[in-house]
Amino acid sequence: MNLSYRHDGDTKVDHQAGYLLHQRPFKERSVMVEIFTHDWGRVGLVANGVRKEKSRLAGLLQPFQRLLFSWRGRGELKTLTTAESAGVVEPLKGSSLNSALYLNELLLRLLPRHDPHPLLFSHYHQALSQLSEGSEIEWILREFERDLLQELGYGLNLSHDIESGEVIEPDAIYCYYPHGPVRLEDQQEMDGVMTLKGKTLMAIASGEQPEKEGLREAKKLMRVMLQPHLGDKPLMSRTLFQPVR
Amino acid sequence: MGFSPAIDRLIEALRCLPGVGPKSAQRIAFHLLERDRDGAKTLAQALTDAVEQVGHCDRCRTLAEAGRCKICDDAERDGKLLCVVESPADLHALEMMSGYQGKYFVLMGRLSPLDGIGPDDIGLDKLAERLNEGEIEEVILATNPTVEGEATAHYISEMVHQRNIKVTRLAHGIPMGGELEFFDGNTLAHAFRGRVEV
Repeated sequence: MNLSYRHDGDTKVDHQAGYLLHQRPFKERSVMVEIFTHDWGRVGLVANGVRKEKSRLAGLLQPFQRLLFSWRGRGELKTLTTAESAGVVEPLKGSSLNSALYLNELLLRLLPRHDPHPLLFSHYHQALSQLSEGSEIEWILREFERDLLQELGYGLNLSHDIESGEVIEPDAIYCYYPHGPVRLEDQQEMDGVMTLKGKTLMAIASGEQPEKEGLREAKKLMRVMLQPHLGDKPLMSRTLFQPVR
Repeated sequence: MGFSPAIDRLIEALRCLPGVGPKSAQRIAFHLLERDRDGAKTLAQALTDAVEQVGHCDRCRTLAEAGRCKICDDAERDGKLLCVVESPADLHALEMMSGYQGKYFVLMGRLSPLDGIGPDDIGLDKLAERLNEGEIEEVILATNPTVEGEATAHYISEMVHQRNIKVTRLAHGIPMGGELEFFDGNTLAHAFRGRVEV
């Protein structure tokens, strides 16, 4: 890693490990890319001359590839100077690819630019590796969502009942309020409030994959917890998981 | 300093062309007005005609006049083969080069959730109708070798599989006349994985 600030406020960063999250066409021959890097968090770059015949960068600047980015410039958008491969990755296919797109959409929507999250970067790196190995997709996504919320400062309380202060018990039913779980008395009916078993909370905390019902509860919990941060606009990558007609 | 209002409007209007900035727009405007007024009239007429008459083919969605494109109308072409492409430009490239004699379906885009483009935005309901007609025996996926193109191909392949129709995808490989040492790792890795017996 090599970074330096020049006296005029110009940033110059060389060989920064990162992933491309998204690219969109910019002007006639260039693209605007959003990258997620180890030391600089999310960064917006302009990559000039990528959309012409014979551009060597075009094949590299794709999501989910381990890359080394170099850029410079001042202001919000920097200019990409080079990108090199940091190792070829088995391409993602099918639902693993859709899931990886979902991770990228979450990062684009929730991470502000220039806010370093090295820990989240390793979680992302790990999630992509697991997706390409074909591990259980649902659980990879849940773990990433948990880590993402944690890193953004909205970490879930998964260990204690927030009212009684007691440790979560596996077989008790809990209602999850924005700040944490509260144990429900037996037979208590709760309409329109999200409830889940203690062991699901424990599974999310430990990272040990639960049974089917637990997976379903965890998915619902994460959806509810992410919602306030995502706003009204629905996540488009979720539509890729809907059954095809 | 501005020019006369009509010239300003022309310069502004020319800037909607891709790759044309203020300077080029001004150069084009003066060229047309000073040297080629006939050409300018022809251009204006051609633009008006095209914008008024060109719509989408009701079978394959490509740009076409009169509701149906030439390829869909051509009884000589093989209706059992359907090639799915992202854009009319892709269709044109395949037509020029590949000797393909089947029909096409043009998505006019690709699945790109991060740009807000989902399955409903690329005419997949129409594609489903085409598949349900029962004539098609093979669907050839010719979306681009990008992540979005791959996601699109996967989504469509599921639609096609459901109907027990054969699906194929264009091969990823190294371009003709290239030199291995200059390719990026992804292209090489793809080509290596897709090697064929000779």
